Amino acid sequence: MSESAIVSAAITEWTEAGKTIPSPIDRLANVTIETLRKAKIRPGDIDAIIANTTALPFNEGSYITISAQHFAHRLAEKIGSHGVRCMNVCAACASAAISFATADAMIKAGILKAVLVVGVDNSPRGFYFQGPSILDMDLAVSYPHKVVGITNPSYWAMWARRRAYDMGKPVKDIKELMALVKEIHSGYGALNPYARYKKTFTAKEVLDSPVVCDPLHLYMISAVSSGAGAAIVTDMETAKKITDKPVKIAASAVGSAVYGEPSPRLVYFATAGGKKAKQPFIEWRKPIEAAYKQAGITAEDIDILECHDTSCFHTINWIDQVKGWEREETDKLIKNRQIRHDGEFPVNLSGGTSSFGEAVMSQALVMVHQLLLQLRGEAGERQAKKRLRTGMCTAYGAYGSYGVIILEKGW
Amino acid sequence: MKKEDKEKKKVPIVEGLFTWPSNKPQLIGSKCPLCGSAQFPKSNVCNNPDCDHSKSPEESLLSDEGTLYSYTVHAYDLSDPFAYHKAPYAIGAIELPEGINVIARLTTVEKEKLKIGMRMRFKVDKLYEDEEKVYLTYFFQPEEEK
Repeated sequence: MSESAIVSAAITEWTEAGKTIPSPIDRLANVTIETLRKAKIRPGDIDAIIANTTALPFNEGSYITISAQHFAHRLAEKIGSHGVRCMNVCAACASAAISFATADAMIKAGILKAVLVVGVDNSPRGFYFQGPSILDMDLAVSYPHKVVGITNPSYWAMWARRRAYDMGKPVKDIKELMALVKEIHSGYGALNPYARYKKTFTAKEVLDSPVVCDPLHLYMISAVSSGAGAAIVTDMETAKKITDKPVKIAASAVGSAVYGEPSPRLVYFATAGGKKAKQPFIEWRKPIEAAYKQAGITAEDIDILECHDTSCFHTINWIDQVKGWEREETDKLIKNRQIRHDGEFPVNLSGGTSSFGEAVMSQALVMVHQLLLQLRGEAGERQAKKRLRTGMCTAYGAYGSYGVIILEKGW
Repeated sequence: MKKEDKEKKKVPIVEGLFTWPSNKPQLIGSKCPLCGSAQFPKSNVCNNPDCDHSKSPEESLLSDEGTLYSYTVHAYDLSDPFAYHKAPYAIGAIELPEGINVIARLTTVEKEKLKIGMRMRFKVDKLYEDEEKVYLTYFFQPEEEK
């Protein structure tokens, strides 16, 4: 089995959502060319393009469009194609992470040698609403907003309240913890030229912001943004010819819904049945455990984490799941600010989705781009102080979409 | 001409989720005759990965009592086409004896009346009305609020 590596990555600056200029395809083409130039390779050297399909509002709250779902093909035509294999991946907020896993698997299988992983999104503003579309009236997922008024942050708020309950702590504690996460991460967003939000918030400002759905306040929830990114994944032999700092993909795992998961799953009316797990989030843990197994390592070996934080609760939960330890340990880590660049377990030194806003289909490209900079020692003021060898990127999306990538120095 | 409330027809906001009209409405779920897996909304395909799927689930009305798994109070109105969801309103996940947690509107937004683990009872009530109809949805209310 070949090894695979990321040789080059580029992202655009993240900008306000809902603006149509520049067009997503132009934005995607420009960032792709930037990535190809960095690696000094041509479109003709690429074996496949894996793009993340986007979700754009169509009519009556439905997000189905046809043209938006073929960015791989449109990009191939745009930058020059030799009949390159084009694949489009759709897995909500976890899309780009799953594209990396797909590229990794095909390279390790020896099917492909060089793959472009790209994503672009121009998300609609405000709360996301799933359907119903006149063509898809699935009762299970198309009607919760209409019938119950539930929004994505309401699911996250219920998770946060339940965590406090399970720990026997007041809800106030998790609110304060989430506010501290925002304070820390916004500081890194302020230093990241690609982040949309460059203001550092204090925990007090976060707690003073309006409540959206208790216990989540406005500044604890990621905005929606527009942005694009591209990365080149090759086999290790090719990678070493392109760069003296190839970043090895030590593992890539994809997860989905798990029967017996007790926590309410976006965007459904109900959980699945079965014997309930004692602790929630078994479906978050499963791909993490699969990734550790693939890489032959344990949680102890992860030096740095970039996690998908559409709310500050996600950051807390990712640390719980990645570390697989008692939740009190996560609280202690955050309260002692050990998730900073100078801490024992740096998390989201990119500023996170919290500072970027979420361009749904591109978000894992921000995380991978950041880990590349960190592992290569090129993150400037945001560079982790500790010696880095291994980093993890974790993505969560609706419908039970999960992607986990472990990256390692390949030199 | 505006109809008086009592003349307006009461209709479910979406058909197929709860029995209506009924004196004792219930959620319409399904149950697998082989493994017993319950689902809401109802499905004609079992969702248990270890079931042999040789028979189809059957419609099954769900319990009208459960316990509160978690909840939140939504402080923002929703926009069109769901603008009839006016803040504040409460949403909860209710653990039913069938082994599933169902998302529901709660009858109260007063946090002091809500406690994780408390008994909750199902009811159908008005969500909103327009000139012609009253639209109903399902709620769970704290037992002691009856």
